[in-house]
Amino acid sequence: MSSHASALYETHQHPILACQNVAKTFHIHQKTPFIALDGINLEVARGDFVTILGRSGGGKSTLLKLLGGFIPPTSGQVLFHGTPLQGITPKIGMVFQENTLYPWLTVEQNIGFGFKVRGKQKRQYALRVREVMEHVGLAQARNLYPHQLSGGMKQRVSIARSLAIQPDVLLLDEPFSALDIQLRRRLQKFLLNIWQETEEATMVLVTHDVEEAILLGQKLIVVGGQPGHIIEEVDISAPAFNDRYDRQFLGLQQHLEGVVGEEPDGIENSRDLATIPGK
Amino acid sequence: MVEGNSGWQRSISQSLLPIVCGLVSLAVFWGIWEAIGANPENPIAQVLPPPSKFLPVLFESDFKIGLGSQSASIYQSVTVTLVRVILGMTVAFVGSIICGLLISLSKWSELFILPILGLVAPIAPIAWVPLALVIFGVSNLTAVFIVFMGVFFTLTIATVAEIKRIPENLLVTAENLGGGNFARWKFVIIPAVLPGVFTLLRLNFIAAWMAVLAAEMTGLRDGLGTVVMTGRNLFNSNLILLGICIIGITGFAVDRMLLVIQRKFFWWKI
Repeated sequence: MSSHASALYETHQHPILACQNVAKTFHIHQKTPFIALDGINLEVARGDFVTILGRSGGGKSTLLKLLGGFIPPTSGQVLFHGTPLQGITPKIGMVFQENTLYPWLTVEQNIGFGFKVRGKQKRQYALRVREVMEHVGLAQARNLYPHQLSGGMKQRVSIARSLAIQPDVLLLDEPFSALDIQLRRRLQKFLLNIWQETEEATMVLVTHDVEEAILLGQKLIVVGGQPGHIIEEVDISAPAFNDRYDRQFLGLQQHLEGVVGEEPDGIENSRDLATIPGK
Repeated sequence: MVEGNSGWQRSISQSLLPIVCGLVSLAVFWGIWEAIGANPENPIAQVLPPPSKFLPVLFESDFKIGLGSQSASIYQSVTVTLVRVILGMTVAFVGSIICGLLISLSKWSELFILPILGLVAPIAPIAWVPLALVIFGVSNLTAVFIVFMGVFFTLTIATVAEIKRIPENLLVTAENLGGGNFARWKFVIIPAVLPGVFTLLRLNFIAAWMAVLAAEMTGLRDGLGTVVMTGRNLFNSNLILLGICIIGITGFAVDRMLLVIQRKFFWWKI
């Protein structure tokens, strides 16, 4: 990490993450390249909570992978603290939708994995792991294995594992989409609490759920179209957007659902129907 | 509370049921055998003496079986065979994981080496016996080599397949958490493949077991297989059946032991 000192120096001048005219093309068939994203410009500043909203296959996950250095852009630049991003780095944490916990490790060992995999001794990180577990409310589950956990608990452990090594920014790719609605709401609250309680925590979350995007984010980006581009950028830092029953919230939700052009989430839909008497 | 109690009882009875049924069926089998063998005139009793006839052989002459200087106690025979099988399987297990990892390093090594392994793997381990006897002579090394050859290639192919089966995101996550290439091998790939390869080792134990016994019957001069062959040479049905019986029980015990090891140490699923 020779650029460590310079990165620290540049921290306050540059946004943590920035896309400059980024495009991504996939060559699935040799003759017809698929342009997933084109002309993306965005900035993620320190302490931001950015949500990226879009329909399935709309390029929003591709954008997140670009931001994390998981795939390189075809053209343009992804800048991390002002310097071009060189592949995957522990400074940019990633939480996937599917379970990525190591089944042979306990909750505690999974959370400490980021230290162990870098050759740290257990006594060096045991305290930090315990601290994170206390913070995210997993202290009781420390000796359980992933197969003994519910889906929501697994995601909490995944988030805790990424947070343990204190990344500059945490990326989340539809982290709650596989969960049922009650659990999803609890975990949304859980994530918001972490973001609020951790000083200068920076998060970027991808979702297809409009409500989730408004509720969690401070800044919302709608990605869509063919080729994928930023359709709309909304500042949602006002407190009204933290209350899902607020008129402003509902108005924006309705508007965005039109923009995204997708039915509201299937599970919620069926639940609403079920509560209407006589249907 | 009532419900919890009945659930507890049910789980106990469910875990006992197979054991009870197995014991009952064994007892019935034994009983019929004894009934048929009770009449010494019955020709079946000559070839298949019941356990009450062949088990006492075990206690004759200080548990020793065989002639003169070649005689060995039954413990010794069991131990010799077990050590051969376990040593061969251990070496094959460790070796095949190392080889599998090395092969999966490059697409080319997979393309060049896997076909050879695929061709060698189906060779019956028994077929290696003559070759092993020529190379290693009548020694423990021969037996270990045969077990190794019977298991190694299959397990190496399995290791390569298991590595391919590891979900991409488990590896990506390790990289994202700061793990380098070597750390990903050590902390992700090896633990991820262990259960699958060990399962296959357990399934291949029977093949290894048969190979060692065949070697002991044909070339080697000690071990459980030799006990059976001594019985044949002496026209002693009791000794033959005693050998067969011990082979069955020992094989069963080792298989259970491997199952216990798997449940205790390699229980996870990817």
